[in-house]
This record gives sequence, C-alpha cells and structure tokens, in this order.
Amino acid sequence: MAAFDFAPAIALLPFVSFLIALTVGKHLPKKGALPGIAATAGALLLSIWAVVAVAGGEYHHAVLYEWVAAEEALSFHFGILIDPLSAMMLVIVSLIAFLVHVFSLGYMNDEGEIGLPRYYAGLGLFTFSMLAFVYADNLLMAFMFFELVGLCSFLLIGFWFRERAPPSAAKKAFLVTRFGDYFFLIGVVGVFATFGTGMFASVNGFESFPELAEAALAGEADVNTFGFAAETWFSILGLLVLGGVIGKSAQFPLHTWLPDAMEGPTPVSALIHAATMVAAGVYLVARMYGFYALSPTLLAIIAFVGGFTALFAATMGVVKNDVKQVLAYSTISQYGYMMVALGVGAYVAATFHLMTHAFFKALLFLGAGAVIIATHHEQNMWKMGGLKDRLPVTYWTFLVGSLALAGILPFSGFWSKDEVLYDALLIGLENPIFLGAYAMALLAVFFTGFYTFRMVLLTFHGEPRSDHAENAHALGWNVKFPLVVLGVLAAVAGFINMKPVEDLTGAEILYLEYWLDGEYGAVEGLTYGAYNTLVADVSGLGAADIGPLLPGVIALAVAVAGVALAWVLYNDPEPEEHTARLGAVRDLWYNNYYQDEAQVWLARNVTLPLSRRADTFDQGVIDGVVNGVGSVSLTGGDRLRRIQTGLVTNYAALIALGLVVLLVAFAVVGGWF
Amino acid sequence: MMIEALIAVALIGSLVVLASPDRYAAQLALAISLIPVAGSLWMYSAFDGAGNALLGGDIAFETGPITWVEVGDYALQWHMGLDGVSMPLVVLTTVLTTLAILSAWTPIDERQSQFYGLMLLMQGSLIGVFAALDFFVWFVFWEAVLVPMYFLIGVWGGPRRKYAAIKFFVYTNVASLVMFIGFIALVFSLDVTTFGLPEITAALEGTGPTPLATAAFFAMFAGFAVKVPIVPVHTWLPDAHVEAPTPVSVMLAGVLLKMGTYALLRFNFTMLPEVAIEYAPFIVALAVLSVIYGALLALAQRDLKRIVAYSSISSMGYVLLGLVAYTVHGVGGATFQMVSHGLISGLMFMTVGVIYNATHTRMVTDMSGLADKMPVTVGVFVAAAFGYMGLPLMSGFAAEYFVFVGSFQSDTLPNHGMALATAIAMFGIVVVAGYLLFAMQRTMFGPFELETDYEIVPAPVRDVTPLLVLLGLVILLGIAPDLIYEMIRDAVSPVLENGGDL
Amino acid sequence: MTVPIEYYVLLSAGMFCIGLFGILTRRNALMFLMSVELMLNAANINLIAFALLHGNLTGQTFALFVIALAAAEVAIGIGIILGLNRNFGDVDVTEATTMRW
Repeated sequence: MAAFDFAPAIALLPFVSFLIALTVGKHLPKKGALPGIAATAGALLLSIWAVVAVAGGEYHHAVLYEWVAAEEALSFHFGILIDPLSAMMLVIVSLIAFLVHVFSLGYMNDEGEIGLPRYYAGLGLFTFSMLAFVYADNLLMAFMFFELVGLCSFLLIGFWFRERAPPSAAKKAFLVTRFGDYFFLIGVVGVFATFGTGMFASVNGFESFPELAEAALAGEADVNTFGFAAETWFSILGLLVLGGVIGKSAQFPLHTWLPDAMEGPTPVSALIHAATMVAAGVYLVARMYGFYALSPTLLAIIAFVGGFTALFAATMGVVKNDVKQVLAYSTISQYGYMMVALGVGAYVAATFHLMTHAFFKALLFLGAGAVIIATHHEQNMWKMGGLKDRLPVTYWTFLVGSLALAGILPFSGFWSKDEVLYDALLIGLENPIFLGAYAMALLAVFFTGFYTFRMVLLTFHGEPRSDHAENAHALGWNVKFPLVVLGVLAAVAGFINMKPVEDLTGAEILYLEYWLDGEYGAVEGLTYGAYNTLVADVSGLGAADIGPLLPGVIALAVAVAGVALAWVLYNDPEPEEHTARLGAVRDLWYNNYYQDEAQVWLARNVTLPLSRRADTFDQGVIDGVVNGVGSVSLTGGDRLRRIQTGLVTNYAALIALGLVVLLVAFAVVGGWF
Repeated sequence: MMIEALIAVALIGSLVVLASPDRYAAQLALAISLIPVAGSLWMYSAFDGAGNALLGGDIAFETGPITWVEVGDYALQWHMGLDGVSMPLVVLTTVLTTLAILSAWTPIDERQSQFYGLMLLMQGSLIGVFAALDFFVWFVFWEAVLVPMYFLIGVWGGPRRKYAAIKFFVYTNVASLVMFIGFIALVFSLDVTTFGLPEITAALEGTGPTPLATAAFFAMFAGFAVKVPIVPVHTWLPDAHVEAPTPVSVMLAGVLLKMGTYALLRFNFTMLPEVAIEYAPFIVALAVLSVIYGALLALAQRDLKRIVAYSSISSMGYVLLGLVAYTVHGVGGATFQMVSHGLISGLMFMTVGVIYNATHTRMVTDMSGLADKMPVTVGVFVAAAFGYMGLPLMSGFAAEYFVFVGSFQSDTLPNHGMALATAIAMFGIVVVAGYLLFAMQRTMFGPFELETDYEIVPAPVRDVTPLLVLLGLVILLGIAPDLIYEMIRDAVSPVLENGGDL
Repeated sequence: MTVPIEYYVLLSAGMFCIGLFGILTRRNALMFLMSVELMLNAANINLIAFALLHGNLTGQTFALFVIALAAAEVAIGIGIILGLNRNFGDVDVTEATTMRW
C-alpha cells in the first residue's frame, strides 16, 4: 500500500465533506463542521504521507480520468502530479484548511451564525478545488479548478448575503478575477493549440509544454507559433496566463477585489489569503516555471509587476484603520514579493516565501478574527487598544506573526523575504533593469515594518478605547489551538532555508532548496537546478556573486527602521492619528490611489453607457427597421384598400376606365394612330 | 421505426390531450411525454450510428428511403434516421419537453388541454426536424414547429403577446421562404432525382463555390440565421421570450434556436463547405458581433427574462464561431454547445419563471434579497448563472472550451485570423459574468425588498424538481462530456474531410 | 332594302353608353338595374344584327339566352333592392357600405 494510492482522496475528502454539509449539514451537531474537520485532517495526513513518500525519492503521476478522449484531435484529461512542489503545497493547503475549520467552530458556531451548512459546504468545496488545483498535472485541469476556486470565493465572501456590502464584494472578487481569467483561458487555449498538450511534466510518456517550448526555441521541435517568432509567441502565451495569475494573486492592476473581499467571514479571509485563492496565482507560475524561465521579457514583467505591487500595496496599508484592511494590503504586498522572486528566477525563494507567508498570514488573520470575536465584531483599530492583557495567547501569537510579516530576525518571514531580496539583488546587479524591482521591494520592507507594528500597537497596546475593547471576552480552545499551531510554525518555519547562516557557517542546511532541487526525489526538469539553467542559459540572466550577509543586514535594518518609526509614533497609551501629517498623500493612500474609483468609472461610465447605447441602437435602428417593414406593409395596405370603396359605381368606373386605357394602349401599340 | 414511434406518440398524445378535460390535461401530458423520453434514452443507449448521416455514415434507426409522392422528375421520400449530431438533440428535445410540461403546472391556469396538446404537437415536429433526411419531410416538420409556437405565445403570453407572436411567426416564416427558394434553386441545378439530403450532399461534393451555390448558401444562411438568431436578425427573440410563458420560453431557447444552428450545420456547412470557407471572414465577423453585441445588450437590460434572452444570442454566436472553424473541436464544440445551451438556458428560464410565479415581477429593480425567502430556487439560479458564465465542471464550460480550442486552431481565416477572432469573442465570458453577477447581486442578495406586495414562499417541490433535474444534467455533461461528445465528434469528422484539406 | 350594319352598331354603342352613363352616375338602385338592362339590350341588338348579316341563327339564340339571363338578373336584382330598402330604408347604393373595411 503506497502513499500515492490515496492521492485522489486528498482532494476528494473535502469534496465529500462539501456534499455532506450541503445535503444533511443542518441535521448534524455542528452543522457540517465536524465532517469538514475530519476531511481536512484526513487530507493533511495523506498529504504528509505524500511528502514523506516524495522525500523517499519518488514522485507520482497518474491519469485519473479522460475528460475528452479524442483520437483524431486534442484530448483532455484529469491527472495527478505529486512532486516536491505540489506535495509541499498540499500540506500547506490542507493544514491551513484544517486549522480554519477548527477556528470556524469558534468564529461561526459559537457566535450563533445561521446558514452554517452553506458555510461549511463552501469551505469544503474551496479546499477541494484548491487541492485539486495544486496537484493538477496539466494546464486545463489547473484552469478548471482555478475557476472553481473563484466560485468558492464568491460564495464565501458573499456569505452574509443579507447585507448589502458582502454580495457586492463577492461580485467584485469574481468579476475582477474573471477579467484576469479571460486572458488565462486564452492562454490555456493557446498552449493547447500550440503544443497539443498542457502537461506540466514530461512523465509517463507525456511531453510537457515547457519542454516542448524549450525544444522549439532550440529549433529541435516544430510547433505552431501562429505566425510569430517562437520567442515572441511564447512570451505572449506566458503573458496571457499571467493575466489569470495577476487576477487571482491580486497583483496590480487587478488587486482591487482583495480589500473588498474582507467582507467575508474572517476565517475565510485567512483561507483565501494564506493558502487558497491568492496563493493559486503564484503557485501556478511556480508550477509552470519551466515555461516562464524561457523568456527574459516575461521574467522582467513578472519582477516589475511584483515589485511595484509590493510597494504600492504597502503604502496603502499604512493609513488603513480597519485591522482586516491592513492585513489585506499586506497580503497584496507579500504576494508582490513572491512575484519578484519568480521574476528573478528565484524559484526557491518564491516557494519559501509562499510557505512562510501561508503560516504567518493565516496566523494574523485568525488572530485578527480572535480579536474581532473578543471585541464583539469590532474591526476598527482605533476602537481597540489594550487587548494585550485580556487576550494573552492571541497577543503573543499575533506578535509572532507580525514579526514574521515585518521580516524581523529570526522569525520565518525574515528568512524568506531576505532570500527574495538577495536573489533579486544578485540578478539586478548583473541586469540593471531588475534593480528597479529590487529597489521597490526593499522600500516596501520599510512600509511593511511600519504598518505591521502600527497595527499591533493600536490593537493590543495602550488603553482600551471603546467599551467593546474594555469588555473583551475570553476565547475558547478552538480559537487558541489554531493560533498556537500557526504561531509556532510562523516562528520556526524559516529555519529550513537559512541562507545567511549557511553562508556564515558552511553547514548544509538549505533543506527547502535541496527539497525543490530534487535531492530527495523529483520529476526531472521540474527542479530548481533545471530552472536555474534555463534562466541563465535561455533567458540569459546572469547573477552577481556576492554573499547574502550584507543584503540581509540591509533588509533587516530597513524593516527595523519601519518598526521603530511605528513604535515612536504609536507606542502611547492614548495614541494619536498621525496620518494627517501626510497631507494629500494620506488621501491618496486612504482612497487606494483611486483605483477602485477608476475601475468603477470604467464599469459605470464607459461600459454601461456603451451597453445602453447598444440597446438604444438595437431597439431603435435594428428593431426599428424590422418594425418599419411591418409598418410600411400595414400603411401600404391601408392606403391600397381605400380604392375598395364598396360602391358599384366606382368599380364600374374603374372597369370602364381600364377598358379605355387598354383600348388606347392597344391603339398606340397597334399603330392605329 | 423508433423515430416514427416517438413522433407518433407525441402527435397522437397531442390529440388525446387536446380532447381531454382541462383538469387532467397536465398530468396526462406529462405521462405521455415520458414515453418519448424513455424511448429516446433507450435509443441513446442503443445508438449504433457511425459517421455523418449526410456523408455516407451508418445511420442509426434508419427507415426508408421509401418513395412517397412523385412530383415530375423528383421523388419525395420518407427517410428518417439519426447520427451523432441529431441523436443528442433528439434526447434534448424529449427531456426538455417533459420538464417544460412539468414547469407549466403552476403558471398555466387556463385552456390547459390546448396548451399541453400544442406542447406535444411541437415536440413531435421537433423530433421530425432533427430526424428527417429528406428535404421535403424536413421542411414540413420545420414549418410545423412554427404553428404551435405561434399559438403558445399568442394565447398564453404576456400583455404584448400578439405583437410578439406575429413578429415571431412572420419573421421566421419569411426566413423559411428565403431559405426554401435558395435550396430548391440549388437542387434544380443538380442531377438528382430525389430531395434526399444525403443524395444532394453527394451531388454537391466538390462542385466548389459556383455563383449559384454562393447565392443558395446566402439564402439559406439568411433563413437559418433568423432562427438561430444571429445579429442583426435577432430582434424577434427578446420580444418572443418576454411575452412567452415560462415553459414556452424553455422550449424556444432550449430547442427551437437549435433548429437554426442544426440546419446551418447540416445544410450550409456540410453541403457547401467551399462557400463557407470562401466567405469565412464574413461569417466569423457575424459570429464575433453576435457574441459581443448580444452580451452588451444583455448588460443594458433590467428584465431578468430579457437578460437571459439576449445572452442566448451571445451563446449562439459561439456556435457559429465553432461551425466556421472546420476543426473537430470547433464543429463538435458547436454541436455540444447546442445541447449545453439548451439545458442551461432552459434552466435559466425555468428558474426565472419560478421566481416570477412568486414575485409577479421580473424587473431587476423591483426586488432584492430573494435568497432569504426562496433558498433552493436562488441556489439553483446561482448555479445556473455560473453555468452560463462557463464554470468548469458544468456543460457550458466544456462547450465553450471546445469551441475556443477548435476555432483557435482553425486555418479558415488567413494569417491565423481565427485565433484573434476567438480571443475577441472570448471576451464574452467576462461580460456574461458581469451582467449575471450584477443581476444576482440586485435580486437575490441584500436585504429583502419587493415592489409587488406578494408574500414570498419557497417554491413547491413540483416547480423545483425540473430545475434540479436540469442542473444535474448540466453538471453531468460538464464532468463527462464524452457521454455525447464522442458521438458528436464521430459525426462531425466527415464534415471536415468534406471541407477539403482542412 | 336593308339597313346597313353600321347603323345597328351605332345604335347598340349608343345604348351601351347610355347604360354605362347611368351606372356611373346614378345612385338609385332601380336606375342601376335599368341601366344594366340597357347595356344588355345593346348587346342583344348587336347579336341579332350580326346574325342577320351572316345569315345564321347562333346570334339570335344567344340573344334569347341574354334575355333569359336579364330576366333572372332582374328577379335577383329586385330582391336585393328590396333587401336594401328594408335594411337601410333607402335604395341608394352608396348607403350600403357597412361591410367595407
């Protein structure tokens, strides 16, 4: 009995819990929570088993189901690919999903929410979709579950549908990501049309499209490039797929849905931000990294989008008053870092940050959720304060998460973010254009430190500033347990890849890098080493040779500066709002650079009037012509019938007249005159 | 003889129901309509056809050709049979008729026996349209569909039913005339002695785009385009849908529109591929226009039924795009889209009907927060809407994906123009999401409000049952498209070979 | 001495025109009927005159048919006129237009 025999069950277990919650959830004791917990726990155990098996030097690929088994044309299938990357992601997703389910007992059940079967059904489907997406073996299957993830986010963000804001936010989330998915779908169709396959890995007799692309670039394979040069066409395809990534991972300019998505229940926010929807985009790039690594243009675009988003979102986070909003912008910003890493070929750093971020961001969201429960659903930080003593477990775990987010030694975020910045700098020194991305990412570190600790100080320190904060109630085990688990992980997860330490001591401790490089077992070609070669040889991006220590110190110093500034400004029993000092910039940041307004304007003042015009045109001109034909016939008939007077005299006159006319006509024609 | 048996059951059933008292008509019609469902499902399971019925494939359940009447040099023949294209459409017809009859129980409360009688009459004619392989028999059934439809809209419809019914009838009838003239002119130029579609197809093979063939192609194209409908001959559709009662809308969107696309595939694209390819730029432009323009129009509507009606125009644009691609997935996907759209749009109309039964309004601005009052119905509506948007694992995604892949690969346009056209047409999936999400947000969610003062209670089980059945079918086809896609591919492949080197 | 055929034709044409004039100008149904009789008899004169000219009886036979037809027509015509008078209280043909449009 091998671990991989149960691989399909990793995704199917949450699907079963979805079905149970949907059908009989309302009769169950916890309204569907218990099957969900059991299913995600099962998925977690199976995932860990899979990781162990991968560590034992295996990988797994199986075609589960032929969706379309065409012989004469393209065929499509569902299959499973478990390699180091997907195995690691499976564990992260199922772990976070499990903890979110447990936390929901406290956040939803204990608070007496209604509609819980729907909630747990949504969570189950969400987990199922994400897990299936993670181990999808081809691009089409990935796209399908990518879309299902979008559906689940719609259902869960709009969970409280009786109010006005959540359905609107849900709509926005789906629509904005759909806009990205439009490009993604063209990309999927294009990849299949170009390569005839969407496989990520060359296994079991399949050929993967990244390898076909590589061969085509080298002139060894013949693919349909639709009239473009191979490199141009691959860049176009990569950009199209990147559209979906930008939408789901909330990168500029499609990030606007994410802050609105805070209308959903907080555990859902944790799930969306840490492990499922937002992570899906970045994961997709990592999954098909062999394709992106082929084009320096694509890499540069990814790096710049990432760097810009990291900085851009961090500035907005600085002025927000809602604790969940701050976290939302931090998510956008952190995914920006991962994009920077992917853009500079730092596959390990991106995956590393994806993992540590999953832990500390889930922790922060669940911590915020705990605060929200305790303060009777207060989310404004200015109405909190002084919660440190009332909620010690929450405080300490939240602090760990914040330190990780800010990138302070030795918490996990420091190690991963430092590696991102270090790798960006290495590429940037050799290819100056990438230095811009590095600079933006480095500047964002300062803002991150600042807003994180502004949030911590306002929420937990000082004096309580409202009755709710004063009367914060105690929390149950089901809230504390996930916090503690994640707190530990957020603190120690960074130790698996301490690059500066390795450099200092020479000890071989870059476990994550070895893991992703296939030291334990991997599919050939899907390893860090292979990608590195592609980035260096095919894309031609060389790396500078400097040690990780100095860049690490710089990053740490910048982060500490941000934290220190927050400390100076807000470590006060009665903190003041300092945001006014920013002047016009504050308004700009507070209003998200008027991005939402721009998009709403685009929808309301461009698309809608256009559709109204089209409607007027349709009703007026096109239907007007149709009705016009009818009216002309009717009026013509009406006029024509007037000669039917009903008077014999008139008919006789017409007959006589006709006779005369005929006679005259014959006379003229016959030549009588 | 199975096809004749199905048609006979529907026609005799229609007479029986017409003669029965109003009180029992609904139950009786439902019971009778179950026989064709069972029959067609059995035929599906026993289907042994291969290839395309017009291109010398093995025709399943074939009867004839038996010469019926001799007119001059020509013999009119009774020739029926199914291939992979028509089989799914026959099943679609029978299943949707039964569900439409079930969904009519609540809204139809007068002249029931006539209503259900006409529904069965229409079903019989529709089966005939999809199964007939002789032009004249086909044309008789084709026209026979219009008559019950005219009365169903004109008698049981909304306030402007007469306008809508006459518009529908005149529009489609004039179109049939144009098509008839074009086709007959084409046939008279050929050396054939029957009006059998396979014979005509064989006689046309390799004749190329002669002026007569081109003229006939466009006459037929115009005739079928009205039925589909393709922009700019679409304006009868929203009026007909808005005025028609729910079950009739279901049939109209679910099956009647497919007559147009089915005929396009059978006549224009199978018989005259050279002309179709010659004028592909024009056809592709119409397809893209239908998709984008139809979606834009849907965005401007405030009546739920009008929204769904306009979105049908958009979806039918994909069918045209797939047909003109002349690739397996293009033509096959177009056929799959016919079935899929039949199910999903039928589902949408039914759900809107159930909501209308409760609220007595369809205006988006008149209601909000229905989810609280009718959870199951709204759940189905949300699912159906996502199906319409092309959510994976539902049939809409499968259909659209096949069409996209097929047309993206197509070489019908020079310089990979099909890829570009496909990319543009795909933008429809964003707009469709826009208006459906907007409509859902306004009507289903938020605090409960209703302009018309009716008390909203959850829909009765008999109204919800057809919704759940259809939703089940939509998901089933989304997960296992090969249930019908395999026979469709088998039947459309010869069409591609007929199209020359494509 | 025989009357030349031209005179018969002229007489017949004259009578026909008088009848036509009557139909076109009169509104009284009885006058109508009389005008129709005039026109029929104009035709009769022609028939008989040409029968005489050609020396066969076909024309006379047809004249008899026409007389019979005229009698029948009068019978029906009078019936209609009576109906008109009963329904509209008048025999003016322009009044009876209720079936129009």
